Amino acid sequence: MHWLIFTLFSLGFTWLMVREDSRRRVVAVTVAGVLVLTLVVAPPVAHAQGEVVAIEAVLNAINGVIQTALNAINTVRSAINTFYQNTIWPVQLINQARAQVQQMIGQYRSLMAGILNIKLSSATLPTSQSLESVMRDHQVNNFTTLTQNFSNTYGVIPTSTDASQADRDMSDMDDALTLDTLKTVKVSDDATDLEFQAANSIETSASQAAPGSAPFLTASAVASTVRSQALTQKMLAAELRQEAAHIAHRNGFRKRGADFSTQLRGVLTNLLQHN
Amino acid sequence: MKQLGRALPNGKSWIASHKLRVSLLALVLILAAPWPAEGQLSPCCAILAAGLSSISSALTSVIGGGLKNILGVDQAIHQFEQDVVWPQNLINQARSLVGSLEGVFNQIHSLTQIKVNSATLPNSQQLEANLLSRNANQIGQTSANYAALYGQVPAATDASQQVRDMVDMTDAAAQDAMKRAIEIDALSDLELQAASQINQSIQNAAPGSAPIIEAQADAWLIRANAYTQAATADLMRLRAIDLANSSADIKMGATNTTNLRQQLMNLLQHN
Repeated sequence: MHWLIFTLFSLGFTWLMVREDSRRRVVAVTVAGVLVLTLVVAPPVAHAQGEVVAIEAVLNAINGVIQTALNAINTVRSAINTFYQNTIWPVQLINQARAQVQQMIGQYRSLMAGILNIKLSSATLPTSQSLESVMRDHQVNNFTTLTQNFSNTYGVIPTSTDASQADRDMSDMDDALTLDTLKTVKVSDDATDLEFQAANSIETSASQAAPGSAPFLTASAVASTVRSQALTQKMLAAELRQEAAHIAHRNGFRKRGADFSTQLRGVLTNLLQHN
Repeated sequence: MKQLGRALPNGKSWIASHKLRVSLLALVLILAAPWPAEGQLSPCCAILAAGLSSISSALTSVIGGGLKNILGVDQAIHQFEQDVVWPQNLINQARSLVGSLEGVFNQIHSLTQIKVNSATLPNSQQLEANLLSRNANQIGQTSANYAALYGQVPAATDASQQVRDMVDMTDAAAQDAMKRAIEIDALSDLELQAASQINQSIQNAAPGSAPIIEAQADAWLIRANAYTQAATADLMRLRAIDLANSSADIKMGATNTTNLRQQLMNLLQHN
């Protein structure tokens, strides 16, 4: 742009200088040319002044908006840090919680285990003592002994010559469900011992856990509780079977009572007819 | 070209005769000519250099200093989170515990698979096998197996309607409970299976995802409680029916005694 103006100026100025005849006119054209040169053709100083303004604007932005923003970010990050350390995860309270878990382990674990391990055996005669012992031993590899000891205490199913088939069936079913329940209880006792182990492990780990590792323990504890409920349900199912058999047995007597009444009525009718 | 050839000697003579004019023309053009930027901007360079120096200083002190402070705080947060909140060694320790618990619960699962059947006669063996089947598809066979062992409801000729109703209700409650026991066994097997899956998920979880699995486990726990309540409800029904039967026995005994007394009086009056 500047070169274009200079070229136009040069052509015009040269043409005027060549064309003028008198010396006075040449001087006038020269003065006019210098004026035009000064006012129009000379490069404006404002261009450099614009760059200074731009630099000042950048500096203002750095010292103003950016500095303010960085200070604000720093303030917020510092506040977050303080909030984490003093409110959400204060190390003092984390250590206090761990210490409390440790303290409660010491206070309760042995005490409660001791209470649960008190011997409850109460039988006084050898046969019942044997049965009681095997019923409460938390073992699952001696079911045969349990069955044998049960038979020794409660007797065996009558032979077919000694009782009706209905009596034998009902008696066998009663004994079977009783033994099923006793076996289920032995399984449950063994499983309960394992549950205690799991609970102790979780509690011990909790005494050393961090806020970030505790959710693993919590989740595992909840999963263990689901298992525990499942075992409770198995015990409940055994109890349902046993109770159902109990009332079925009593109901069976009612049915047989009806049969006997019918038979007795028939016998009496026959007797009266013969007389 | 000829004109140019003729003009050149004329131009030279014109320049020679107008030296002042040519000098002024040359002076003005030289002054007006745009010089290279270096020369033209040299007065501004100092301003630019000072400006750039100020910007550099501002970048170093204001932005650099500010960022350094933020970095310091971030590093402190990072360190705190690594050392106190989510220490890797404790996370690994917790995962390891979950793995060892899985071993304990596998033992429990094996215990629940131990056979407990004990019946010795065919009818009772059949009913017991059905009751211990843990298979909900076998619930349909329960009533037949039950009737084979405990008998049917007496015929109308063999018992009063009241007795027949009572016997049928008692059979129904007993069979319902037996069917519920099969259901609960099957459900508890599935719960054990689900708990094992949840435990395996925990071993592969991150601290941020473990609460999600915990929430799922909580939902399973609620479900398990509901199953337990359903089984408890059947047990309560069973005991309620048992109590009602005891009461009915007293009522029927009283009725039978009254009837017997009446018949004896009739018999004595006839004699």
